[in-house]
Amino acid sequence: MSRLEIDWTRCDGHGLCAELLPRQIARDEWGFPILARTVDDTRAARRAVALCPALALRLRPA
Amino acid sequence: MTATLASVPTGTWTIGAPRLLAGLDRYAAIDHAAHLALHGPLPYPDRLRLTALLEDIALTGRGGAGFPFAAKLRAMPQGHGVVIVNGSESEPASFKDRTLLRRAPHLVLDGALAVAAAIGARQVTVAVHDQSAAVAVHRAIGERRDCGLVRVEQVHGTFVGGEARALWRGLHGGAAVPPGRRVHLTQHDTLLSNVETFAHIAVALRLGPRRFRESGTHAEPGTTLLTVGGAVERPGVVEVPLGTPLGIVLSAAGAAPPQAVVIGGYHGTWQRLRPDLQLSHATGLGAGVISVLDSSTCALGELARVAAWLAAQSTRRCGPCRFGLPALARDVAGIAAGNDEAAAFHHAQLVNGRGACHHPDGAVRFVMSGLHVLREETVRHRTAGGCGRPVRGQLAVPV
Repeated sequence: MSRLEIDWTRCDGHGLCAELLPRQIARDEWGFPILARTVDDTRAARRAVALCPALALRLRPA
Repeated sequence: MTATLASVPTGTWTIGAPRLLAGLDRYAAIDHAAHLALHGPLPYPDRLRLTALLEDIALTGRGGAGFPFAAKLRAMPQGHGVVIVNGSESEPASFKDRTLLRRAPHLVLDGALAVAAAIGARQVTVAVHDQSAAVAVHRAIGERRDCGLVRVEQVHGTFVGGEARALWRGLHGGAAVPPGRRVHLTQHDTLLSNVETFAHIAVALRLGPRRFRESGTHAEPGTTLLTVGGAVERPGVVEVPLGTPLGIVLSAAGAAPPQAVVIGGYHGTWQRLRPDLQLSHATGLGAGVISVLDSSTCALGELARVAAWLAAQSTRRCGPCRFGLPALARDVAGIAAGNDEAAAFHHAQLVNGRGACHHPDGAVRFVMSGLHVLREETVRHRTAGGCGRPVRGQLAVPV
């Protein structure tokens, strides 16, 4: 299992990750991601990490 | 923004025998000759002996995080490290570090020099925010011949900027904000600790572990500095044996019967007075600030003021802190104006744990513990539209 991690100093709340991983990432009222504890779809998560425009998302071993 | 308070409690007093504050009942400031007369010459143990001593006395950092000093020492390389004395004292109600630097600077220098010698450090940096503390340290360095490695750096006194990693970045020419990625300072050959920590080392080197342990508790030997303020007759910097009951400190301070006590500063917690609470770093003493609120002030208003100040301290880099803390501060002001707590609970949950440093978590801990202690006040404000008391500013907020 892996888990997602956010570098909060980089995240601008674009919201792309929440669109790519709707079951694992919600958005708060300001648009910043709220993460589920663990990641079930590692491939999709990797894609979200790669596409984050702020390079703020990371995948870590749980 | 600098952490300057309108009124500065400069008095010192002690419970039990003073160690760090020894001589301050007689001297306004202790010069090197008086320092040597009071404490004797500084022993320079080798690295193994110093590590064993600090482990034996279980010394932890006194800036608030409470990390074991011996573990930091063990992680340092031999021969080229840097020792940083963190004197930024960014906790607004805390005055203990600047009191040591202004009035007993040689103890702090002693501790830093002994550590630097043991690891063969190439530099000692004393990072100071307070102007008169910087002057006192310069003067102290001029009085002795063993400070060739020591330099003094003036740093900005922002709340978040005093955090270890933020201070380190600031000293290296960056912005004094915490880095987004995890940085372990010892991996950068840097040993950083708080001013008071180094003073305890200077004392321990002279006393040795057995005598050092004659004060304090088994788990936390020795003394600690507190800054006691708010609704007390004798505010100031206080040295007490660790494990001293809170009630004894408050009666010695001439505290009014408290409505609430804030322990550990503005990342600390609100508590109802438990006179038998033994003061220890394990129970959240933080940087040692104890603030008393008596029944003459509107405690919810005090909470709202500090919540607004905490929101303003955000470095505005991490979204949940940047937007969430101001929202939380508005919620608390709303509660003081008669709203319920739902919005505050919601925002507190959204902020907690979602930042690069501990500021959002500490701010949430402060606000949530305040709302918990002040539940009856909240009801009173909702049903009666307020409590009829003014906000006296017993929790000091920098101007």
